Amino acid sequence: MKLKRCLSLVRASILDSLQFRGALILTFVGNLFYLLLIYYLWKAIFASSESDIINGMTFSDTMIYLVFASALFNFMEMWIVWGTGRNIQSGQIIIDLLKPIEFRSFVFFSGCGEPIIKFVTTFLPTAIIVYFISGRAIPLGKNLIFFTISVALGMLINFYINFFVATICMYTQSIWGINIMKEVIVGLLSGASVPLAFFPETLREIVMYLPFQAICNSPLQILLHNEYPVSEVLVILGIQLFWVIFLMIFTDLFFRVSVRKITVNGG
Amino acid sequence: MKRGILYYTRIYFKIIAQDIKSKMSYRADFIISMIGMIATNLAGAISFWIIFQNFPTVQGWNFYEMIFLYGFSLISATPAQCMFDNNWDLRYKVFSGDFIKYCVRPINIFFYYMSEIFDVKGLGQFAFGIASVVFAWIKLELSVSVLSILLFILAAVSASLFVIAILNVAACTCFWIMNSFFALSLSNTLRDYAKYPITIFNPILRFLFTFIIPIGFMSFYPSQIFLRPESVPLISWFTPVFGIIFFYISYKIWMKGALAYNGTGS
Repeated sequence: MKLKRCLSLVRASILDSLQFRGALILTFVGNLFYLLLIYYLWKAIFASSESDIINGMTFSDTMIYLVFASALFNFMEMWIVWGTGRNIQSGQIIIDLLKPIEFRSFVFFSGCGEPIIKFVTTFLPTAIIVYFISGRAIPLGKNLIFFTISVALGMLINFYINFFVATICMYTQSIWGINIMKEVIVGLLSGASVPLAFFPETLREIVMYLPFQAICNSPLQILLHNEYPVSEVLVILGIQLFWVIFLMIFTDLFFRVSVRKITVNGG
Repeated sequence: MKRGILYYTRIYFKIIAQDIKSKMSYRADFIISMIGMIATNLAGAISFWIIFQNFPTVQGWNFYEMIFLYGFSLISATPAQCMFDNNWDLRYKVFSGDFIKYCVRPINIFFYYMSEIFDVKGLGQFAFGIASVVFAWIKLELSVSVLSILLFILAAVSASLFVIAILNVAACTCFWIMNSFFALSLSNTLRDYAKYPITIFNPILRFLFTFIIPIGFMSFYPSQIFLRPESVPLISWFTPVFGIIFFYISYKIWMKGALAYNGTGS
């Protein structure tokens, strides 16, 4: 029964995002431009260095890492902060709170159509193109299975962080400022803009203790290092799982406290 | 009926005063947006810092020169951010039919539409940009004179015309395709290119970013006048002329869409 509710929400949201095919194409073009930029930027960076391997990463490693990081972020984006924030401002949230489903699950399932569509239309093509362009530099094997699990965990972590930020909007009535701060922090500390391998030693150690690196750095480490023993992969997955559980409990408590504070203007 | 620039200046301040008054009633939002703006700019600077921890120079450009380019690109983006921010809402207004209200006022549609919003948080970006440029200027031991400061102001104002032009064109696509969000977000992505030296790209892209999508003029070309005064490329001096041309073209396209607007019928 509960599953049926969730599935119908997912179905509706898939249909909803299929309405915007033009948007999908433009997102794809936008990504291509972004990839061109990072390609030339890092080519220039590596050309200025004496050695081909910097902090254990070659040029092609760095490119694969950054392309995948941007592709992962692209497909994970669910616009939760904007969606929920707008609902708080307009008062629509009251209706959503009354629905016979937990609010957080409602937000998750009614938002996950877009990631599903984008996974098929942008992430998979990008991954296949990168695989062939890079001269099959991505090892294929058991890492793919672990990678899939890790991506799912990363997506949950990303969702909980977004949901946490959306809850803050109940206090501030500000969406733009809160959302941009989130984007900045996640973008920088997850290693999506500069790979974590390039971070100075101490900064990297601090970042490893934060949940952000578990969004896309963990899956990418698993994907690019097939040589990792299973025990090491399990440690990475374990850390991700820890963050999922921690954030699940934390966002739940925080939401329970915050929802009492909600003010709807003129509702 | 032609009206003088004085008339439009007076009316501009009257309209934005209303907007600023209404913004002031959301003080928390204003403060958070300001912090968010500065945090974004700071993060950009931190990424440079991290990259330059590993590499002393990138194609002969050192850390401080990159910070200069970055700061300059933030300064040149300020007028677009502060005064032309209503472009981002154009698609809602066009879609809902609210845009028709601008078409029936007895003043220039473009002017009236843009004057309605003044985005104060852009000033945070401006402050950060100035701070970065001053920091780089001191570290690079560039010369300071009245002439160089005047030249800098001229260069920054000219560069800002390109940012506004691209924003206008991206926003007004909604007159033809309804939803311009992705065109706008693409224009934002492209604007990110402005903070890197154009020389890192291959010749085709360099041509594209000079004459078609003039990203090079947002920071790189005008900055050369200050960073490499001994070898300024000729094209840098054309920044003001090209700026006016690009701005004028974007204005014409925007107006073409606006004048053809029929409303939604409701």
